[in-house]
Amino acid sequence: MEETLDIKRFALTSLYLMLVFGIITIVLGYMINNYRGFYLSLTLGLIIIITTIVYIPLIHRRRDDDAKNIAVPTLQALWVTTSMALGYVVTAYAPYFNIPIAIATALFIIGFIVMVYGVYAMLKISRVAKVPLAV
Amino acid sequence: MSQGKDVYGDYATLPVPKEELRSTLNIFMVYMGVLAVIAAIFAGSGLAQMYDLRTTIVVALIGNILLAIFGGLIAYIGGVTRANTYMLLRYPLGKIGAAIGSLIVSALPLIIWFAVETWLFAITVNVIYPGHPLTTIVASSIWGGILMMITAYIGYKALAVLSYITVPFWYTLIVIGFAAAVDLNGGFESLWRVGPSSIAPLGIGITYVFGLYAAGCVITSDVSRYGIKRWSGSIAWALHVAIFMTALLFAGAAMTLLTGAPNVIVAIAQIGLGVGALLLAILGQWTTNDNNLWSAALAWINITGKFQKKVWVLITGIIGTIISALWGGLWGMSLDPFISFGTLLGNFIPPVGAVLIADYYIVSKSIVKRDYRFSPGTKISLVNIPGILSMFIGGFIGWISTTYGVHLPTGVGVADSIITSFILYLLLVVAMHKLNVKFEVGEWIVGETGI
Repeated sequence: MEETLDIKRFALTSLYLMLVFGIITIVLGYMINNYRGFYLSLTLGLIIIITTIVYIPLIHRRRDDDAKNIAVPTLQALWVTTSMALGYVVTAYAPYFNIPIAIATALFIIGFIVMVYGVYAMLKISRVAKVPLAV
Repeated sequence: MSQGKDVYGDYATLPVPKEELRSTLNIFMVYMGVLAVIAAIFAGSGLAQMYDLRTTIVVALIGNILLAIFGGLIAYIGGVTRANTYMLLRYPLGKIGAAIGSLIVSALPLIIWFAVETWLFAITVNVIYPGHPLTTIVASSIWGGILMMITAYIGYKALAVLSYITVPFWYTLIVIGFAAAVDLNGGFESLWRVGPSSIAPLGIGITYVFGLYAAGCVITSDVSRYGIKRWSGSIAWALHVAIFMTALLFAGAAMTLLTGAPNVIVAIAQIGLGVGALLLAILGQWTTNDNNLWSAALAWINITGKFQKKVWVLITGIIGTIISALWGGLWGMSLDPFISFGTLLGNFIPPVGAVLIADYYIVSKSIVKRDYRFSPGTKISLVNIPGILSMFIGGFIGWISTTYGVHLPTGVGVADSIITSFILYLLLVVAMHKLNVKFEVGEWIVGETGI
C-alpha cells in the first residue's frame, strides 16, 4: 500500500514538474524577441502544458492503491512531454530560430535535464507498478 | 487445449496471449512510428509534381480513406484471432501457400526495402553532413543498419518504446519545417498560389497514394494482434492513415512547392533547422526500418520453422546492410534493380490482402462455416487452390495493368489486382463448393510450437 501511495505522489510530482517546465520555456520564449524562437517555445511548451493539464486531474481521480491505472496515464503523459524536451535539445541552437545564445543555452540545458528526468521517471514507474514502458 | 510454447519469440507462430495485449493508443503509436518515415513526405513531393495544394488534399484524403478501409478490414482479423499475417494466410492459401505468400508479402520485399531505406538514410546523412568519415554512404549504411537492427533484435517492446520516444517530436518537427518553409517563402497566401503548370487527372493521384501503402495494409495484423480490443488495430490504423498520412503528404507537397527542393530533408536543412533535419532522417528511417526487419523475421520463422526471431533479425538485417553498404555505397551503384524487383513483387501483395478479406469475411463465415484457429492440434490444409490461383492471377493482372495500362477492369494496377483477386477467389470457392470439389488439399496439424 505504501509503495502505491508513493507511486501516485511520484507520478503527480513528475507531471507538475513537467507543467512547470512547459511554463518556464514559454516564458523564456517571450524573452527571445523574435517571432520564430517564440513560436517554437510556444508550440513545444503548449504541447507540454496541455498534456499535463489533461492528465493531472485524471491521475488525481485514481484510487491510491490502483497502481496500474496510475502508472499507465502517467507513462503516456511523460512520453509526450519527454519527447518535447528532446525537441528543445535538438532545435535550441538551430540557425532558423535565431535564439540569443544565453536563452538557447538555457533551453538546451533545461530540455536535456527534463529529458533525462523523464526517462528516469518512466523507468521507475514502469518498474514499481510492473507496467511495460510502452502502454 | 494447450496454447503452445513461444519458442521463436514475439509469438511468431502462436496467438498473442491476453496478458500481452496493449492499449489502442499503444497500437496507434506503433503505426505512427511506421508512418514516420521520410518516404511519406517524399511521396508528398511526388504529388506536388502533379497537383496544386488544394487538389493534393482531395487526392490524398480519398486515397488514404481507401487505405483505411482496406487495412482496417485486415487489422480487424488480427484483432479477433490474435495471429500475425503469416499465420492468417494459412487459411486463404494453405500451409504451403502461406509460405509462398509470406515470401511475397514480407520475407523478400522487406529485406529489399530495408536495404533501400538504409541506403536512402546514408545518402541523406551524406548530403547534409558531407566530408566526415562517419558520414560516407558506406559508413552511414553500416552504423544506420546496426542502429535499426538493435531495436528489431530486442523485439516488439523496443519498437513500441522507440516509437513513443520519437513519434511526438518527429511530427512536431514536420509541422515546424512546414511552418518555416511557409515563413521563408511568402506566407500562407503564396501557399495556395503555387502549383504545377498542368493538373493531372484525380485518378492517377488516388492510385499513387493507394499504391504507397497498399502493401503495408496487408501486414497490419502483425501489430493489430496485440490490441486490447478486437477493433483496436482497425481504429488505430484508420485514424493514422486517414489523418496523419494525409497531413504528411500535404506537408511534403507544400515544402517541395515552396522551396523548389525535391529532397525535403535537404530543404529542411537549408531552412536552417540544423540537427533537426538529421534527427528527422535518423528517427524516421529508424522507426520504419526496424519494423521491416521485425516483420521479415516473423515471415521467415513461419516459412522455415527454424531459428529464433532474433537470429532472423540479424540474418535479414546483415543482408540488407551489406546490400546498402557494398552495392549502394562502396561500388556506387544504384539500387534500382532491387527496387524494380521489390516493385514487381509489390504487384502480388495487395491480392494477398484481397484473398484474406474474402476468405475471412465471406468464405469462412457464410460458405464453409469455419473459425480461424491456431492452437496446437488444429488441422489446416496444405494448399488452398483458389487462394493461390487468385493471388497469382490478380498480381499478374495488376502487373499488366501497371506496365501496359490495360483496363482490367479499371486500368489502375493496385485496384485491378485487388478487385480481380477478391472476385475470382469467391467465384472459384463457390463453384468448387457447389460442385463438391475439395478446394483445400492436404492436411497439416499445428504442433506445440505453432509450426
